Amino acid sequence: MKAEDIQAILDKRKKEGGGLIAILEDVQAKYGCLPQEALKIVSKSTGRSMVDVFAVATFYRSFSLKPRGRHLVSVCVGTACHVRRSALIVQEFEKQLAIARGQTTSDREFTLETVNCLGACAIGPIVVVDGHYFSQVNVGHVSRILKKVRDGLDKVEVKGDERIFPVEVSCPRCNHTFMDRTHLIDGKPSIRVTIAFGNQHGWLRLSSLYGSYNVESEYEVPPQAIVNFFCPHCHTELIGGWDCPECGAPTVPMIVRNGGIVQICSRKGCRYHMLDLTRHA
Amino acid sequence: MAEKILLKNVGIPGSERLETYRSRGGYRALEKALRELKPSEVTDAVKKSGLRGRGGAGFPTGLKWSFVPKDVPGPRYLCCNADEGEPGTFKDRVILENDPHMLLEGIAISCFALSVVEAFIYIRGEFALGAERLERAVAEAEEAGLLGPNVLGSDFGLKVHVHRGAGSYICGEETALLESLEGKRGLPRLKPPFPASVGLYGRPTVINNVETLSCVPSIVQNGPEWFASIGTKGNTGPKLFAVSGHVERPGVYELPLGVTLRELLFEYAGGIRGGRGLKAVMPGGSSTPVITAEQADVKMDFDSLAAVGSALGSGAVIVMDDATCMVEVALGLTKFYRHESCGQCTPCREGLGWMVRLLEGIEFGRGSTADIDLLLEIASGISGKTLCPMGDAAVIPAQSTIARFRDEYESHVRTGGCPFKSAAGKVE
Ligand SMILES: Cc1cc2nc3c(=O)[nH]c(=O)nc-3n(C[C@H](O)[C@H](O)[C@H](O)COP(=O)(O)O)c2cc1C
Ligand code: FES
Repeated sequence: MKAEDIQAILDKRKKEGGGLIAILEDVQAKYGCLPQEALKIVSKSTGRSMVDVFAVATFYRSFSLKPRGRHLVSVCVGTACHVRRSALIVQEFEKQLAIARGQTTSDREFTLETVNCLGACAIGPIVVVDGHYFSQVNVGHVSRILKKVRDGLDKVEVKGDERIFPVEVSCPRCNHTFMDRTHLIDGKPSIRVTIAFGNQHGWLRLSSLYGSYNVESEYEVPPQAIVNFFCPHCHTELIGGWDCPECGAPTVPMIVRNGGIVQICSRKGCRYHMLDLTRHA
Repeated sequence: MAEKILLKNVGIPGSERLETYRSRGGYRALEKALRELKPSEVTDAVKKSGLRGRGGAGFPTGLKWSFVPKDVPGPRYLCCNADEGEPGTFKDRVILENDPHMLLEGIAISCFALSVVEAFIYIRGEFALGAERLERAVAEAEEAGLLGPNVLGSDFGLKVHVHRGAGSYICGEETALLESLEGKRGLPRLKPPFPASVGLYGRPTVINNVETLSCVPSIVQNGPEWFASIGTKGNTGPKLFAVSGHVERPGVYELPLGVTLRELLFEYAGGIRGGRGLKAVMPGGSSTPVITAEQADVKMDFDSLAAVGSALGSGAVIVMDDATCMVEVALGLTKFYRHESCGQCTPCREGLGWMVRLLEGIEFGRGSTADIDLLLEIASGISGKTLCPMGDAAVIPAQSTIARFRDEYESHVRTGGCPFKSAAGKVE
């Protein structure tokens, strides 16, 4: 921890407005916890007593005085998830990580906590790891979730997974190919489309390996954002016939060469996709 | 299916953007309020519409507004409660993420009515996407002159701040929310004085829920009579119901107040999961007393639910099928409240820990009949004896499950454990 970093946070907050809680949130975001030295600096600079600062730091759940693990696993035990047996999921995480809830593994990789309702009860039981939501979790999913986290939540191991194979796709309207042979992802030509979200407008390249979720984009798409997809050639918006059965966002259709259609969910982070090789466009 | 008012834009691509909202008639109500109405006329319209608070207590919104003293000089504030922490509740989230401009328009009209020039939205820390969209919506609206110094070219100016919470259920309680906004621990204040006279930074303050404020534009646009024609007498307008638990199609449903529970569960939410039987429902979030399958014909509104000994609360409908152990439900919730107790009042802080130990005893086969009565006794020693209504809320799960399912507690005691345990492992 460096005193200058804390000072920078304090200066920024002084300029933008925002009281003690906002300052502590920034410190927590930077260090993953609230180091005592940092609290001392905050206390001195804000003129709030150490008792006061400490009281606020221990009152709110998002603050932690002790360092947390690299990955934070939050299992919802709110009522709606509870009646769908989330207690068993907590037990399974405890067993597999060999820690109790509230603890951190000795290698500092995982912290396990329980939370009460994440406001996503309709798709419970909910487990959130580092901001990634896993819905309708059951005990059998636990080891898979942990493996995914260890592998990196955004990365997909391509080699040796037989469910992964390459596809070539084109626009359902103008039939121009989306394949970009100059830009490789997973070592294969990528699928290039145009996307828009918020005020941003730019390219997105998807892996052409069906089953891989690797993407690159001009602008960082915020998690959970629903993105509008366009054909880079005819600029038609790609709108699917139905909504994603997992998250309700619209799906995006693309024509598969040699027949068939692939639909992917337009929400960042949602992994729904469907390949229908029997349907001819 | 009734016409949608609160969810009319949900599902439209880019619904969270200003251009989409405006293209669908958004901000016309604000324009109408500023051009054609006096602030007091807006308050009168809200009064006449019969709108009652959607945050839990169902307090008439127009009446609440009229408590703000007119003649006190200096600033006054409006706080939008977007803390949505009541277990089972996920309705405000839908508005925050999908239609933030509807909320902002509601806030702007309400501030105009109350002569407020600075408003705060206190959003739950976990709602990262909602906060992001809300912040962007504020920026968009400021740029378009819909918020900021001269709203739509008028003399009325408004600054809206988005404040993110840091993970605490009690901060949803209005006075704790004010403390938290001031950068302190969320410890509820003693009332009176009420926030309407002494609120944020000691100034007159109105606190309203997201859904409440989101009803305001349509009241101004379509008139209070129109709003009052939806729902039942004394319980007017549309309501968002967040249905979760053991139903086939959980989700948020917008229906007029007064729809029956049966209709909501079986026509909209697809019935009980796996064709099982309905056992119990918490009709308004975890702080509302459970009702049983026999009461499924109750109308989902403030007064009808109160008449059967429960409450509409936040409109979070938690459904439990016949394989659910009520002792376990009560235990889980009592633990939650014990953890979230702010610790100021001894009955709540100490009593809830005691109740958890007794409930654990019963659930895990160490309980006695005397423990069941003791639970009720402790509960009555907490209820009504705390600074804020959290004490009352916290004992409701145990109290109401004992009241309706005492035989289940007794069979735990008799058989020395939970009769549902074997089922527990099997579900899912
Ligand atoms: C323990 C507790 C938690 C509460 N949590 C919330 C909440 O998360 N959101 C909310 O809108 N109201 C919550 N309330 C109700 C608020 O105190 C307040 O009544 C409400 O925000 C007023 O808005 P309304 O009149 O529009 O309903 C809570 C109350 C208590 C006692
Ligand atoms: S109870 Fe788990 S998300 Fe609401």
